[in-house]
Amino acid sequence: MADLSDIVARVKDALGSSARGDLAEIDANGAPLHALSANDRAELATQFGHELKSVAGDYLGICRADEAAARIAALAAETGVRTAAIGEGVAIDTGAIATALETEGISVLRTAPGVDADNRTQTLRRVADADMGIAEADCAIASTGTLAVVSTVSRPSSLTLLPPSSVILVNVDRLVRDIAAAVATLGANEIANHRVTLITGPSRTADIEKRIVLGVHGPKSLHVLIVWPRDE
Amino acid sequence: MAVSPKATDFFAASEAGAADHELQRKLESASARHLEHFAEVRDEFTPYENERATARAIKENALGRLDELIVELTEKLTDHDCKVFFAASADEAREYIVKLATQCGARHVVKGKSMTTEEIALNPALERAGIEVLETDLGEYIVQLRGEPPSHIITPAIHLSKEDIGELFHEKFRVSYTPEPEKLTAEARTRLRESFLRADFGITGVNFAIAETGTLVVVENEGNGRMSSTIPEVFVALMGIEKVIPKLSDLPHFLEILARTATGQKLTTYTNFLRGPRADGDLDGPREMHVVIIDNGRSAMLSDPVLRESLMCIRCGACLNVCPVYRHIGGHAYRSPYPGPIGSIVSPSLIGSSTAYLPFASTLCGACKDVCPVHIDIPRILLHLRWKETSSPAPPPWPHDAHRARAGARMFARLARYPRIIRFLGHIAAVLVKPFAENGWIGSMPPPFANWTKVRDFPAPRPGHPRPANSAGKSIRNGRS
Amino acid sequence: MNEVQLFSTCLAEEFFPEVERASATILQRLGLKVRLLKSAFCCGQVAFNEGFRSEALDLARRFMAACDPAMPIIVPSGSCTSMIRIFYADLPFEDAELTAKAAAIRPQVYELSQFLVRVMKVKRLGARFEGAVAYHPSCHLMRELNAREEPMALLSGVEGIRLVEVRDREECCGFGGLFSVKFPHISGAMLSDKIDRIRQSGAQVVVSNDCGCLMQIGGGLSRAGADIKVRHLAEILAAR
Ligand code: SF4
Repeated sequence: MADLSDIVARVKDALGSSARGDLAEIDANGAPLHALSANDRAELATQFGHELKSVAGDYLGICRADEAAARIAALAAETGVRTAAIGEGVAIDTGAIATALETEGISVLRTAPGVDADNRTQTLRRVADADMGIAEADCAIASTGTLAVVSTVSRPSSLTLLPPSSVILVNVDRLVRDIAAAVATLGANEIANHRVTLITGPSRTADIEKRIVLGVHGPKSLHVLIVWPRDE
Repeated sequence: MAVSPKATDFFAASEAGAADHELQRKLESASARHLEHFAEVRDEFTPYENERATARAIKENALGRLDELIVELTEKLTDHDCKVFFAASADEAREYIVKLATQCGARHVVKGKSMTTEEIALNPALERAGIEVLETDLGEYIVQLRGEPPSHIITPAIHLSKEDIGELFHEKFRVSYTPEPEKLTAEARTRLRESFLRADFGITGVNFAIAETGTLVVVENEGNGRMSSTIPEVFVALMGIEKVIPKLSDLPHFLEILARTATGQKLTTYTNFLRGPRADGDLDGPREMHVVIIDNGRSAMLSDPVLRESLMCIRCGACLNVCPVYRHIGGHAYRSPYPGPIGSIVSPSLIGSSTAYLPFASTLCGACKDVCPVHIDIPRILLHLRWKETSSPAPPPWPHDAHRARAGARMFARLARYPRIIRFLGHIAAVLVKPFAENGWIGSMPPPFANWTKVRDFPAPRPGHPRPANSAGKSIRNGRS
Repeated sequence: MNEVQLFSTCLAEEFFPEVERASATILQRLGLKVRLLKSAFCCGQVAFNEGFRSEALDLARRFMAACDPAMPIIVPSGSCTSMIRIFYADLPFEDAELTAKAAAIRPQVYELSQFLVRVMKVKRLGARFEGAVAYHPSCHLMRELNAREEPMALLSGVEGIRLVEVRDREECCGFGGLFSVKFPHISGAMLSDKIDRIRQSGAQVVVSNDCGCLMQIGGGLSRAGADIKVRHLAEILAAR
């Protein structure tokens, strides 16, 4: 059986004496990040919304932090949601959203930290059985309408995967221009240490005659709300 | 494998494909739809040409110091509590995974789309070990139900119409027949959802492995790759050694070109960054994560200065979509998990001598090279492989008529060194066949030209007898000369 | 520049002998002296494409011995031009002198239409041709030599011509040299699509600058009983 040294030896052999000095260091870094003005952010939000719609996502627009709970509760009620699963927020207080949902008579599953191995399967099933999963994204990409979700103990990424309807909130400060900026914003450390998913629209396939169908394994619908902090 | 496939099988298989007009119609309309999608996103954000050049440069650099990158990646993955296994051959990789599945008592395996698992013929081996294997990519699921291999690296069921799939579901699931993609997809969703929730072992391929961060990137649209790497307790990622890229900041370039060329999107729906097993208390991710890094002929490709380039491939499938040979014979004719132009250059190294003819089965039209997002010079590699095959100690045995054609060409090439002799022979040939020509064309020729006149007429040779100058216009209506 | 070499290629010599005269006529009308390369017969492509590299080397040597590296070499074929201009670089010449000669010759080799448009900077040659013409771009011309505009520019300058478009005209006709006889079923399937599209285009004449394509397409049209002729680009450009 081969081990690391075997493989490395084979590869070294294969590369032979080809001079490595010649290998140009590729500087693939994107444009440097700079602070965005409120105007820039509004512009990015518009672009984000446009791109999200082009990948069949539902753009809910921008709202103030204190309006988010009501907006989502209304959406849940409108779409006939009976159970919703919700994780902890990043910058947004999702507790308020849970309360608002409960007020609407929707039963809420809070993915509490510290799932133990025994009830993991059960918890996954309960998340899968929920009609709606609600989560906050760590970052949103304007040029592609993409959301970056970092999976943590209190914010498992199955919230954005298992329920048929996915609601994702993102703080307007977390909007970036393109994929390179998103990767830079999240940073090598965060990415080395967490499972991260970039989500661009609802789950889709083109496997039957290259015709696009939504909702294969992941959510059939994706609703995104951009939250603007109250003081601006 | 029970019966080892023979290289000559390609002839029968491609003949069947070439005669299947229905298949050609399906492939043509699918590629047309694909090209429409691609045209919509081609020049979104950074101009596409710049992206192609950057992506290629990164790959070139990465391959040039692949040994260092593999060490770096392995260290990082090990730090993240992944178990990294190196497989020199397909057998080693397959045996490792089957043994692992058996040891952890796996009963239900779910798989994301992975051509590399096809390369190592993993499914039959797992099944022989009594383990259920379920392909979960919709296209893969469909072809698995039919007991077929995929026929395209991005769109596995591209050879089937929605009606074919409707009938398949009707037959297998006893549901009422429908050709509607939405309803068929919904049916598959319901069935596969339950399988995901009970799966105990997940397997996917890897699109990119980032050495800097020890991250495996799996790109997909359906969510099945996410499911397979999130739900089962044990997860295996299988990757070729060439998938490593140096830095996190290299990744966006590949994500952009891959999505655009593979499916005509700006970004695929899900880009999964996997780093290791879940932490204590986490809901998502496996308890155990294994990374199998396979050579299986890749280091040999790396050592060949012409072939090396083929390791830059990001498996976008664009070359298949534009290839007229692929579109006329279909993916199954190649009898390799890697069909089409890319398949013709990598299969002899990754699959073996049963694919020895693939490099010859090309007109060298170059449509693949034009479209390839990393500018792989596929025609040049095909030529290189033809030469390697021809000069190998055991060249593939050609069917009789093809052999005769090749021998004839070789003879011609030797005689053509003596222009006087070859011109003289040309004149004799012209005199001999003249009686058989009609309007300048001959309907039936003896070997080695018999294969020519199987499908079209042969031009009557007429060396030294040009049509009178300036007659091009006048002669339209009255025969060829 | 006042003198060029013209290499008419083996297929043209044997099957389309008018191509040489027509090419020479066009070049002469531009005031160029034309020297015919007669001591070479074939550039070696047929051997090279089949993996017979030693035979290809022999033919390449022969070809190089025949030509003067100091003068442009005009070839009325996209694929032979790309063989010499591009793929001679992949031939393992055994001595430095030959390697150097190949390096000197390669950039001097031009496909006819490229030479006319890029080097001589002409588009109108005073040609006249009546009829509905479909242009079939040969693959090597388009994708190895990157000549997509030149032939069309020249054809548009022909008086009386009516250019018609063939659907998916950039798709290969299926010739591919020996491919056509080793894999006649694939080659034939590709050809039959091409023929269907040509027939739909309403063309009376199909024009190409590669004799391989002309053999393939012409043979397909003849087999289909279509009253559509094939002509080399040079013939149209020389017609008056
Ligand atoms: S060879 Fe190029 S075009 Fe073909 S699959 Fe690979 S990257 Fe895509």
